[in-house]
Amino acid sequence: MTALLFVLLLLIGAYVVTVIERWAVTGRIDPVAPLAGALALLATESIVPRRPDRTLFDAAPVLMLISAVLAAAVLPLTSSGIVVDLATGGLFVNAALVYIMVALVMAGWGADGAYAMVGGWSFLGQLIAYSMLIVMPIAAVAMRAQSLSTVAIVQSQASVWNVITQPLGFVLFVLAAMGASFLPPFDLPNATALAMGVAGEYTGVRLAVFRLGRLVLVVTLATAITVFFLGGWLGPLLPGWVWTPVKTLVVAATLLAGGRYVPRLRQEHLLQWSWKLGIPLALTNIAWVGVTLLAVR
Amino acid sequence: MGQPIAVGFFGVVAIWFAITVFRTSSMVRSALALLAVMVALGGIFLALEAEFLGVLQLMMMASEMTIMAIFMVMYMMDPGGLGQMEMTHQKRSAGLVGALGALGGVTLAVFVAWGGGATVPTPTGQLRLLGLEIMGRSMLIFETAGVTILVAMIAATAVAIARWR
Repeated sequence: MTALLFVLLLLIGAYVVTVIERWAVTGRIDPVAPLAGALALLATESIVPRRPDRTLFDAAPVLMLISAVLAAAVLPLTSSGIVVDLATGGLFVNAALVYIMVALVMAGWGADGAYAMVGGWSFLGQLIAYSMLIVMPIAAVAMRAQSLSTVAIVQSQASVWNVITQPLGFVLFVLAAMGASFLPPFDLPNATALAMGVAGEYTGVRLAVFRLGRLVLVVTLATAITVFFLGGWLGPLLPGWVWTPVKTLVVAATLLAGGRYVPRLRQEHLLQWSWKLGIPLALTNIAWVGVTLLAVR
Repeated sequence: MGQPIAVGFFGVVAIWFAITVFRTSSMVRSALALLAVMVALGGIFLALEAEFLGVLQLMMMASEMTIMAIFMVMYMMDPGGLGQMEMTHQKRSAGLVGALGALGGVTLAVFVAWGGGATVPTPTGQLRLLGLEIMGRSMLIFETAGVTILVAMIAATAVAIARWR
């Protein structure tokens, strides 16, 4: 039952995120457009490019969707509303997210197109930029919770949310989450400059699955930010099962709208900023959390 | 009963993809098949209730195998396998070594008295034990390995920059 509810919530989340994304791009709220777009994609012929690596080309969108769903499965809606409460939940989120990169590389290589391939391999470089900034802030929130369980991480924020105690980690994690879900200004793998990159060779049902995977990924990462830094289901007046979706949607809207006001980053600049600035800051965050935990004890 | 079936299933998947690694002539397919082997091994860890090791295996191998794939693409003549390049060599000796290795593995699995009924710590208990191990007697080993890798990274970057300039 929890699993069914979980899938339903993810689909609703993906729908709402599509509406928000369209609002961020066009300035109009159109609740029918996502459904019409999905139906149009399903009715379109799914063209296969010339001489593709068919296995990789077909498997990539599915792998992307599965990875995003698996990462979401260890994130709690409430203290008991979780598909699997793993003792290594925080680590598992990161493990599942790495396969997004594998899926994009597969999509880029399998299509046998220059733009798609550049997009796919460039996301591997992007992962090298953002992955440490995903892991290190998670390590810091796990330090406070004394656990990698996502439920325990939310419970550790009962007195004060992690966004207050670890603002540096929060900012780094949000930026890394935008990089992981290749949202602007980190949309290097599917940039318009690359004729939509990895997504460029997909049409019809394959493109529909690819887009659904990307939308679920945005929902998953927004939920991860909510769980790790914004107190998850904790909040006044409203019940917990309302707080998590509300916070997740606010975070998703911020991620989708915020990046559009910033110019797209170049690959080498992203790597430079990430390794020369981001990682030292993430280490500083871990040291700061360690010192504050010892001081409080 | 479920545990042996799960271990057996992931074992068969691992062997299947291990064979696929050598049956394809595409470097990227080969690297991704090797990744599938590693994922199956992660599945075996999870089936054996070693949760942390399983998740770590799944996480680390994904990026490592993909990075290996891009290096193979960069350095090999025919990374896509379109030229039907022969991927295997020294077939007879390799086959002999492989068969001996498989025989050794089966012998170990069947004839060694492995014991049974060992109590597996809870996943949380495993994390605690691992943490105590890393922060205790194994700290020197981990720190030495970490510093060595860091030095290698800095040295490789320095050499690359020197050539580039």
